[in-house]
Parts: sequence; structure tokens; C-alpha cells
Amino acid sequence: MSTSNTTVILPIKSSKSKDFSDFFSKLVESIQKQKVLPTEFIIVPTAEESLQIFLTDYDFGDLQNIVKIETYEGEPSFQAQVNYGVSKATNEWVSFCEFDDEYSAIWFKNVEIHKQAYPDSQAFLPVVVDVDDKNQFAGFTNEATFAANFNLDYGIVTNELLARFQNFQSSGMVIKKETFLDYGGFKDSMKLTFVYEFLMRMTYNSAIIRTIPKIGYKHTNMRLGSIFWNYKFGESPLSPDEAKFWLEVAKKEYFFIQDREIKYEPELVDESIVSSNGN
Amino acid sequence: MTDNIVKIEKTISTLKNGTNKFYFFVQDTKGNPKASIKYIYDLANALKQNGKNSIILFEEKGYTSHKTWLGEGYEDLEENYVNGQNLQVGVEDFLIIPELLGYIIEQVQNLPCGKIIITQAYDHIFETLKPGQSWNGFGVYKCLTTSEVLAEKVRDIFRSVSVDVLPVPLSKYATEKDKPAKPIIAIHSREQRDSLNLIKTFYQKYPQYRWFTFRDMRSMNQDQFYEPLKDACVSVWIDEKSSFGTYPLESMASGTPVIGRIPYIEPEWINEKNGIWTTNNFDLVDILAEYIKNWLEDNVAETLIQEGLDTAKKYQNQDDFVSLSNQLFEEYVSNRVQSLEQQLDKLKPVEAEL
Repeated sequence: MSTSNTTVILPIKSSKSKDFSDFFSKLVESIQKQKVLPTEFIIVPTAEESLQIFLTDYDFGDLQNIVKIETYEGEPSFQAQVNYGVSKATNEWVSFCEFDDEYSAIWFKNVEIHKQAYPDSQAFLPVVVDVDDKNQFAGFTNEATFAANFNLDYGIVTNELLARFQNFQSSGMVIKKETFLDYGGFKDSMKLTFVYEFLMRMTYNSAIIRTIPKIGYKHTNMRLGSIFWNYKFGESPLSPDEAKFWLEVAKKEYFFIQDREIKYEPELVDESIVSSNGN
Repeated sequence: MTDNIVKIEKTISTLKNGTNKFYFFVQDTKGNPKASIKYIYDLANALKQNGKNSIILFEEKGYTSHKTWLGEGYEDLEENYVNGQNLQVGVEDFLIIPELLGYIIEQVQNLPCGKIIITQAYDHIFETLKPGQSWNGFGVYKCLTTSEVLAEKVRDIFRSVSVDVLPVPLSKYATEKDKPAKPIIAIHSREQRDSLNLIKTFYQKYPQYRWFTFRDMRSMNQDQFYEPLKDACVSVWIDEKSSFGTYPLESMASGTPVIGRIPYIEPEWINEKNGIWTTNNFDLVDILAEYIKNWLEDNVAETLIQEGLDTAKKYQNQDDFVSLSNQLFEEYVSNRVQSLEQQLDKLKPVEAEL
């Protein structure tokens, strides 16, 4: 079996989500089925007891010897857990995933092919198949990199492209660990648009991110209890104003590598948008 | 000795020492690339490389040289034009005329030189001939074509014309891709509206694949042609009238699988393993969508690419083409020498009697 010097990082907040066990098993299987196997699988759970027990008891089969559990003791968040996982990775490349998603079996093989073909690359995005909670096809993500009518740099995610199109996915991405850390990783305080801000920051700093035109990852959209489901339907959903606020913040914050811990303050929204228009 | 005998002896001597000329008529496409013209240039160039006098001939003075799109390697080839009716052709020379310019045969019928028709498309054979007219009626008994299938068709129509086959050589740029393919669909059709119809139908029927880009491969310069062809994940070919199919072979040589409409005259290199073939234009869109789905999931059979590469390999040997071309034209020369010597034999006894 061929291997890739890549660490897969899986942050998990809780095992109490609906169908957690089924989703988790499918993700693990999708890693087992890879034609080129990553050599490290770091799971970053919170200290939640049931989750810890689940992971301890889980049979990872032939992945057992590459699995590492690195519990995150701080305030749980996707971004902070990913950052923590990356800091623990021992490989040159890292890839993030979510427990309710799946890699396609060809993904890491294609990453290796593209690493050889384009050695200047610092990150690779997959074409993501979005499915609904019934596993029905909903659309593709990251494919806009190839939309020739609005991306002049075919196949490459550029700052100009991101300025015009915001909908990109980082899950499934394979990125150099060093690049991720040098550019500051995900910003924990950034809500909703943390992926967008991260990609803007990367491209602003001239990182070369290529989308590989192959189905590399399957993403479940709006799963009950997921981070984006909570933004829309959770106990304190994001208002349209707040969503607009985070988009504007992302467009301003990507100049800064450090997380400046911006907080949403409703009364400042209009002012913020006004000032971004330069009026 | 009579003048006639002297002239014939001089002609024989010119033919034997190889100082005669081969005039290759070409169409003036005003700089638009055409595979059929490249074939004629390749032929002329092959003779030139072996020290023969080959000259490209246009019908009019204000022609646009094809060298502008052919790329490197044709610099030494002489181009000229026919000034009205003043074509200075000797008995020892040869005129090589593409079937598309068939009307020229009528104009040159009284010239005593050798005449050869080049046929690359069955569809064009009768385009410029009037009903009842044939090549041999104008003194043309030699035809050069690109495939055995087409040669058979020609033999079937013009029974007293001898037909030779010289397959099209693929360009030296047609080599296997060394980078992974991109979501680009290279498309080539004889009629541009066929490409446009397919593209519009495809985007309408399969909007999820709108991020795939179509590249129209018609009328591209040689040095610009192969990069998008190698970038492409698939190549679509719609040309019912083609008799050879240079484009799909170039795609195969680039490692780009072909989805194609089988022409009325099925090229001899087509087999069920080296491409995805259909006889129905309406199927092409669905076949393409199915192919893309498989390509995105790495489900395209490796054998499809390998069979394509193997098929194209037979047409990639430039040296073979040069050697075969020269062999063939040396045979034409030798036949002509033979026929002139026979004429001479008939004339000499007459002179002796006098």
C-alpha cells in the first residue's frame, strides 16, 4: 500500500450528535479505503466523557497503529481543535475533516499526483460533493476555481477570486503543516466565515492553493446540530446582520496573521459597513 | 535526332538526376489552420528533406502563407503562386492537386507534366467535377490518399486510376501529457454549429458541470494546439465526413480519451477499445456527462488511454513518413521515366528508317 506523508486531523466536539456513531464509522472507513494511505490520524476530541469512552472502545482496524487521540482541554471550537491537532502532527502535510463527512477513496492518491506535477503548491482543495442529510446530491463546492469566466488563474484559488466568490470549503483540504502554522491557522474568534478569512489570508500572503478537479470529499450539509445548522437553526441563530458583519470582518481581518478577537456588536454593524464603503 | 527525341532524352535525364520539380497546389485559407493542408506541407517537406525540389503553389498572388500557423520546420519550403495562365511546368515536373481544387485539373489538362490527385475527404471528390467528368478524363491516373478505406472507395469509382496510400503523420508536438488533466473538454467538429449545439445542450442538460470549460480546437496554430489538448480530460470529435481523423489520433497521442461520432467512412484505426464511439450525435451529450462523472471519480479505464496511445503510435513516426513519401514519389518518377523510355523506343526506329 502506498502512503502519503499526511496527517488527517479530526476535531470532535461531542458524541451526542444524532447518528454520530454511523457518521464516524463511515469517515473512518473512507480513510481505510484510500488508495494512498495517510500515515497519521489525529483525533482531537473534547474532554466529554462519552466521547472519550467511544473513542477508547472504537475498533479502528488496520488504522489502529496510526490513530492518535489528542484531547483538547480548552473551550471547544472547530478552529481551536484543528489548530491544536496541526500542532501535534508529525507529517509535512495535514488534512482536516469532519466526523459527518467522508473522503473519497481516490483523494490522497490524487493529492500525491498533483504534488508531483505542481511542486510549488502549498495546499490542495478537493472538489466537494455536498449532500443533504438524506445523502442526496446538493451540488459541488470549490469547483468555482475552474469557472473560466471569472477566474483568470485557472485551477488556482486567488485573492481576486475570493473577493468575488466566497463559498469555499476547507474540509478535505491538504495543506503543508508549516504553511498552516506560519499563516496563523484558523482564527478561533471568527464565526461563520473563518474558512473564507483563512483562504483570503493565505492567498494574500501568496500561498499557492490549487483545487484538484476530482471528487475528493463528501460533505453533509446542514446536519442537525452541526456548526452551520446551529448558526441557522440553533438556540441563538446568526441574524442576517451578524452574517453580514462576519463577512465584512473576514474581508478586513485577513491582513492580520494573529487572531485579533473581534466580537460582534450589533450597534456597530452599520457603521462598520459604512466605513468599508469608504464613506 | 529529331527535336522530340532530344527533348524526351533531356526529360529522362532531368528525372533521373532529380532536378525536376514537384508543385503542390494548396488552398488559401487566409491563415486558418487545416489538417488537410498540413498533410500536403508535410509531404512537400519530406521530399525537400531528401533533396527534391518541392514547391507549394497558391492560385493567386495575395495568398497568406500557411507557415504562419504550421510552426517550426517548414522554413525552407518554397511557396509561390500561379500568375494567371503562365504556369511554367516542364514535362519532367509533377503537379500534385488536392481533390478540393479539382477544377484545376481541367485547367492543366493539356500540360504534358505528371499529375497526381491527393484525396483526403471522400466528400470532396465530386465537389468540383461536373456530372460525368472524371480525373482520368483530364489525364490524371494517379491518386494519393490517406487510408486504405478511402483508397478502396476511390478505386471503386475511378477504376483506371491507381491509388496509393500514405497515412497522415502526427505532429512532433503530439506527445503524451505529463501533467494531470484539467476539467477542460476539447472539441472539434467540421461544422462549428455542431460544436455549439453540443455545448449548449450539455450546459442546459447538465448544469452541475458548468464549471467544465469547452475549448474549440478548430483553426488553432500548431504551437497553440497541443497544450489545451493535453490539458483536456476528454476530447469530443464530430465529423461525419472525415475520411482519416487526424484530430482524434492527435488526442489519443496526447493521452486524452476521445468521444466521437463515427464518420460515414469509418477510419480503419477505430476499434471499440481506443475511444468511446457512437453513430448518433444526440447520444454524445449523455455520453460526455457519463464520462465526466466517471472522470471525476477516477473511474475511466486505464486501458482506454493506453489503447489510444497504442493506436496513435502507428502514426507518430516522422522518419517512416519521410521515407515512405520519398519511396512513393521516386516510384512516380521511375514510372514516368519508364513511360518516356517506351515513347523513345517507339520514336527511334522511326528515325532510323528516315
